[in-house]
Amino acid sequence: MDVAPQRGASAPATTRSDAICLERVHKNFRRGDSTLQALTDISLTVEQGQFVTLFGPSGCGKSTLLRIVAGLEQQSGGQVSLFGQTPAEASRYKNVSWVPQSPALLPWLTVRANVALSQFINRRADRQLPAERVPQDAQEVLAEMGLAEFADARPAQLSGGMRQRAALARGFVLGAPLMLMDEPFSALDELTRDSLGWHLLDVWERHRKTVLFVTHSAGEAVLLSDKVVVMTPRPGRIQAIIDIDLPRPRPPEIAESAAFLKLVMELKKRLRMGREAGA
Amino acid sequence: MTAAALWRGSGRLWAPALTFLLLGVAWQLVAAHQKSILPPLDEVAGDLWSRPQFYLANLWVTVYAALIGFLFGSALALLLAITVIHFSFLRAAVVPVALLLNVTPIVAISPALIVAFGFNAIPHVIVAAVAAFFPMLINAMSGLQAVDPQALEVFQSMAASRRDIFIRLRLPSSLPYLFSGAKLAITAAMVGAIVSEFMGTSHGIGATIVMATAYLNLKQMWAAIFVSAISTLIMVGLVGLTEKATIRW
Repeated sequence: MDVAPQRGASAPATTRSDAICLERVHKNFRRGDSTLQALTDISLTVEQGQFVTLFGPSGCGKSTLLRIVAGLEQQSGGQVSLFGQTPAEASRYKNVSWVPQSPALLPWLTVRANVALSQFINRRADRQLPAERVPQDAQEVLAEMGLAEFADARPAQLSGGMRQRAALARGFVLGAPLMLMDEPFSALDELTRDSLGWHLLDVWERHRKTVLFVTHSAGEAVLLSDKVVVMTPRPGRIQAIIDIDLPRPRPPEIAESAAFLKLVMELKKRLRMGREAGA
Repeated sequence: MTAAALWRGSGRLWAPALTFLLLGVAWQLVAAHQKSILPPLDEVAGDLWSRPQFYLANLWVTVYAALIGFLFGSALALLLAITVIHFSFLRAAVVPVALLLNVTPIVAISPALIVAFGFNAIPHVIVAAVAAFFPMLINAMSGLQAVDPQALEVFQSMAASRRDIFIRLRLPSSLPYLFSGAKLAITAAMVGAIVSEFMGTSHGIGATIVMATAYLNLKQMWAAIFVSAISTLIMVGLVGLTEKATIRW
């Protein structure tokens, strides 16, 4: 249940057409008589073309924040601007690509048709295609994801990792300037997860979309991101924002480098500090 | 293939065959000692064999009423289910009526329908339709709501219209439920048609059974019962085949 904003009208939003701007976003859930603060005072700017990860333990509100950006949930207060549009406007123009936790492929469609799903729904948005969205060819993206020869298979014939790759491909085919990924690898085993991380890194470095990625894996966060937002629970808030200044494109050896490991440690330390401060 | 594997593999065939054989033997034993309880199976088969056109003509009357009833009843149920899931306030208005209809004994409304519509096929079609309606409604309502919530969010994130969501997500997701509903509905429609023929008509399998009772003609009674069971089984099988041809994932 949504709760009306408690603080008065927030400051006018900084609406930049070249960035994602969150300003004093908060979200309360009401359960019976008590109000749960899921997010308090989240302010964050994501520059165009950046890969930003929301990192934190479960209950820190990272998924809720992502859902607010996607327009799947309404904030209780504060401003969200996606390249100058509200989340509702952005979704009306299909300017946001949502990659959910499970692959959520449609079992009755072939892999190719699943990946091309965005071409069949809300076609009005395609008739007035905004310049910032560049739909991609389904077959090409499938090839980038290493799924070219499975295009005519049904999802049930794929392994879990392949299904998740197909779900990522579906996200890229839409060609939206902003991609939102809600723990897309969390249901996979560690090895599949690693290999998928590299796949995503590779494809992203070619497409260079603005990405907001949610994870609770520190390694994944460092590998993929330009910037990691460390969040802590009760109430959900931003504990720290860490720049990941590793070179791009990132070679496979990077995961064993001292700089990489130092950043992973740094993330874990920040998480612990947040936990101790909250306790 | 080893002998053991062959044995196991053929189990799907011989296990039910053995059950039927045992049932048949038990039947014949009862029939041999108590002719007023069960007629010998060979006599039942003989009666079927000697006048197939009598049984087929009556079967067709029943199957016709059941099929028309099934089509109307399940189409109405499907339309209602689609309406109810899109306008949730209607659910409270509709579902109690459907429940009431479901607990009303079909035999009880049959005479009322004969009074209303006369001695023709209409009362029997209506009873079959009423019988088919409820299982289809319940299955269609659950099926149309059995949507993967994460897939729904993918649709919503692109501002999909209700039409998009219905045609590309809800309807295909619901197909397994719709076919289960159709299997139940066609069975119910057959039962409804037969029971409604117990009165107000001299045609159809139901009437055949009632008349056999009046003349204590056990051969005819059981032949009619077998004919109705087997034909219902065939219709359920046809729905199953359609399901296999439609749902290939």
